[in-house]
Amino acid sequence: MNNTLKKNDMKTAYIMLLPIVGLLTVFVVIPLLYAIFVSFYQWSFYQDSIFVGFSNYLLVLKDQAFYKAMWTGIKFALIVIPIQFVAAFLFAHLIKNLTAKVGGFVKTSIYIPHVISGVVASIVFMFIYNYNGGLANYIVSLFGSEPIPFLADVKYALGSISLPAIWLGFGFTTLIILAGINDIPDSYYEAAEIDGANTFHKMIFITLPLLKNVFLYVIVVGLTGAIQQFDLAYVMTNGGPLNSTMTPNLFIYTHFKNDPYMGYTISAALLLFVIIGVISALMFRLINSKQVED
Amino acid sequence: MKKPKFLAFMLTVLFIISSILTGCSGTGPAGTEEEKPDDSSDSGKTVLNFWTPQWGDADKEWWEKNIEAYNKSQDKVEVKLEIVPGDAWDQKVVAAQAAGTSPDITTMNYNKIIFSAEQGKILPLDEYTDPAIWDDLYENIAEFVTLDGKHYAYPMLAEPSAVLFYRKDMFKEAGLDPEKAPVTWDELIEYGKKLKKGNVFGLAAAGNAAEYGWTHWGFQAMVGQQPISEDWSEATIVNEPTKELITFWNEMYQSGILPKQPLGGYTDIKPLAEGQVAMQINGSWAIGQLRNDYPDLLDNIGVAVVPTNDGNQDKPTASLGGWTLTIDGNSKHPKESAEFIQWLLAGDEQIMVDFFKDVTKFSKFTARKSVDEVLAQDSEGANDPWRKLIAEEVVPYAVAEPIYAWEVSMAYATALERVMLEGTDLEKSLQTAEKEINDYIKNNNYAGTNPKK
Repeated sequence: MNNTLKKNDMKTAYIMLLPIVGLLTVFVVIPLLYAIFVSFYQWSFYQDSIFVGFSNYLLVLKDQAFYKAMWTGIKFALIVIPIQFVAAFLFAHLIKNLTAKVGGFVKTSIYIPHVISGVVASIVFMFIYNYNGGLANYIVSLFGSEPIPFLADVKYALGSISLPAIWLGFGFTTLIILAGINDIPDSYYEAAEIDGANTFHKMIFITLPLLKNVFLYVIVVGLTGAIQQFDLAYVMTNGGPLNSTMTPNLFIYTHFKNDPYMGYTISAALLLFVIIGVISALMFRLINSKQVED
Repeated sequence: MKKPKFLAFMLTVLFIISSILTGCSGTGPAGTEEEKPDDSSDSGKTVLNFWTPQWGDADKEWWEKNIEAYNKSQDKVEVKLEIVPGDAWDQKVVAAQAAGTSPDITTMNYNKIIFSAEQGKILPLDEYTDPAIWDDLYENIAEFVTLDGKHYAYPMLAEPSAVLFYRKDMFKEAGLDPEKAPVTWDELIEYGKKLKKGNVFGLAAAGNAAEYGWTHWGFQAMVGQQPISEDWSEATIVNEPTKELITFWNEMYQSGILPKQPLGGYTDIKPLAEGQVAMQINGSWAIGQLRNDYPDLLDNIGVAVVPTNDGNQDKPTASLGGWTLTIDGNSKHPKESAEFIQWLLAGDEQIMVDFFKDVTKFSKFTARKSVDEVLAQDSEGANDPWRKLIAEEVVPYAVAEPIYAWEVSMAYATALERVMLEGTDLEKSLQTAEKEINDYIKNNNYAGTNPKK
C-alpha cells in the first residue's frame, strides 16, 4: 500500500475524530477527572472544602446499603436481560419468516415501546399495578384471589418494575438480533441442508456462532443499562419497599438529594463506574469475541 | 514516528482548550467563585432571582400577582420568579448550589433551616430588616428559624402534618355516628374494621419509608420518644413507647384497615374524596385541595384531631411543617433580597390574608400574630369550623420538625417497614435501627453537634 496515501488517510481520520473527541473531553473526560479530584474532599458548596483523602471511599465501602444497591442492580439485570434476550431471539425468528409487509408492521409495532420514555411507561404501569382496580389486580381477582400489592411487597416489587423494563427494551433487542440473523448468508443453511443438517443443527452450528458479536453487543449494552436503571424505580417505588428496588443509580441520586456533603455521592458514583467497567470487561472476556479482540 | 507526535499534539491542544473552557482554578473544589447569571437587567435594575416550588395553581397566581406588584412599587429592583414543579425541586436546588447558580431568594422548609444556616447556605436577615417584624411572629415558630440569636428565614406559613379526615356518609352506612370521630388508637382500629368493605379501605395514611419517615414525627412526639438522644450522641429507639407505636401501626396494616399498597401519595386527599377509603390522615393542606377540587363533597367530610394512644387530645398529634423564604449564602444582593422578603411576608397584612383566605382556603396557618388578628375579624375566617378546630386543637400542641439527619428518621421508618412487610421481630428490628443510627453518629462525628442544644 502507498505509504503517503496511508499517512494522509490517517490525518483525515484524526481530523474527523477531533469534534467527537473534543466533545467527549469537555463533557466526559474533564468532569470525570474533576469528580475524581473532588472525591478526595469534603466538598461543600458554601464552605471551604477540606481534603479528606480516601475517607469518602471508605465510608461508601463500609456501607452495607451500597452493596445492597449494587446487588439489587445485578438482580434486576438478571431478571430483565435473560427474559428479554430469549424472547427477542425467538421473536426475531418469527419476524424473519413473515412476509415483508406484515414483517414491517410488526417491526414498527414492537419498536414503539423503545421510544416511550421510562417515566411515561412507569406511570402507565403504575395504573396497571394499582391496588384498587388496576388491570393486574383485576386479572388476579378473576382467579378469586385477594389483591396483590405489586409495588409495595418486598417479594414482588423488583419483579414488577422489571416487567416494564423488559417491555421497553424488547423491541430494540429484537431488531438488533433480526439484523444479525438477516446478515447470515442463506448459502450456509443451504450447504448444511445438503449435508443433512436438521433445524436444530443449523441453529447450533450456524445461527448461534455467527450471532456471537450481536449477542455480545446486546448483552453488554443491556446489562450495563439494566444495572444503571433509574427512572422505573424512581417513579414507581422510589427504591422501596425496604430498599428492594433501590438500584445503584437511584441510591446515588438519593444521596445526592439528601446529603449535606457530596463526597459520598461522588465516591459511590465513581465506584459504580468501576464496577460496571469490570462487569463489561468480564462479559467481553466470557463471550470472547474474535472481532472485538482484533 | 509520525503518529505518536500527532497524537501528542492533539492531546495538548485538547488539554489547552478544555482548561480554558472549564476555567482552571487550582484552589480545590469550590462553587463560590462562579459568576451568577443575570445580575442586572437591561434597564439597569438589580435583578433578584427567586425560586419557589409549585404547590397548586392558585398559589402560582398569588406569587405572580404580588411579585408584579412589588416590581411596580419601586424602580431599583426586579424580582424574577421561577416556579419549579414539585418533583424537580430538590434536585434542582442541589444542582444549582453545586454549580454556584442558586437564586438569591429560595423557599425552604423549616427543618432545613438550622443546618443550612450552620453551613453558610443561607444568610441571616436581621441586619437588613426592621426588628419589629420578628416580634410579630409566634414564639414557637420564630424559634424554628433562629440560630444563635439570628434569624435565618422569614416564615410564610405553618401547617400541621396530620389531621384526620373522614367520610360522614360512610360512617352512617357503617352504623357509626358521623359527628363522632375516633379518639383513641383502639377506636381507630375498631372504626377501621367496621368501615372496611369490599374495595373501600378503613384508613389511608403514609405508605412508604420516606413518608413514614416524616409523617411519624408527630406520632413519635405523641408517645414522647425521639429515635435519637437530644444531644445526638446515641440512638434511643429501643424502648416501650416506640414499640407501642409500631405495634399499633402494624396492627392496622395486618388487619387490612390500611391498603397493603398505598392508593396515592400521602399529601393527596384523592383516595378519601373518591371514596376508596373511609378515613384518611393527611396534612391540613388537604382542606385546600378539598375546597378547590371537590366542592360538592364538603358536607360529607368530617375533620378531627388524629386519635392518640390514650385518647388525650392535648398532646402532640402532628409536626408543624411549612415554608419560609431565605437568602442564598452566595447572593450578591442580600439587602435587596431581605427588603423584598420583608415587603412580601412581613409587610401589609392583606397580602398574607389573601393567601390564607383565598388561595389556601384556611388550610394553612400564619406565623404572624397581626395576620391572625385580621383573619379573626374576617367573618368567613372566624366562622370556619375546620380552621377553628385545627388552630385551637392541633397547632398549639404540634411539635417542630426535627432538625437531626434524615437518616435517623429513615432508620425508624425502615424498622417499621421490616415489622410490617417482613414480619421481623419488633425487638430485633429496632435493634437493627439502633445500630444504624449509632453507626451514623460514629461515621459522621455526629455526637454533640445539635446546634439547638
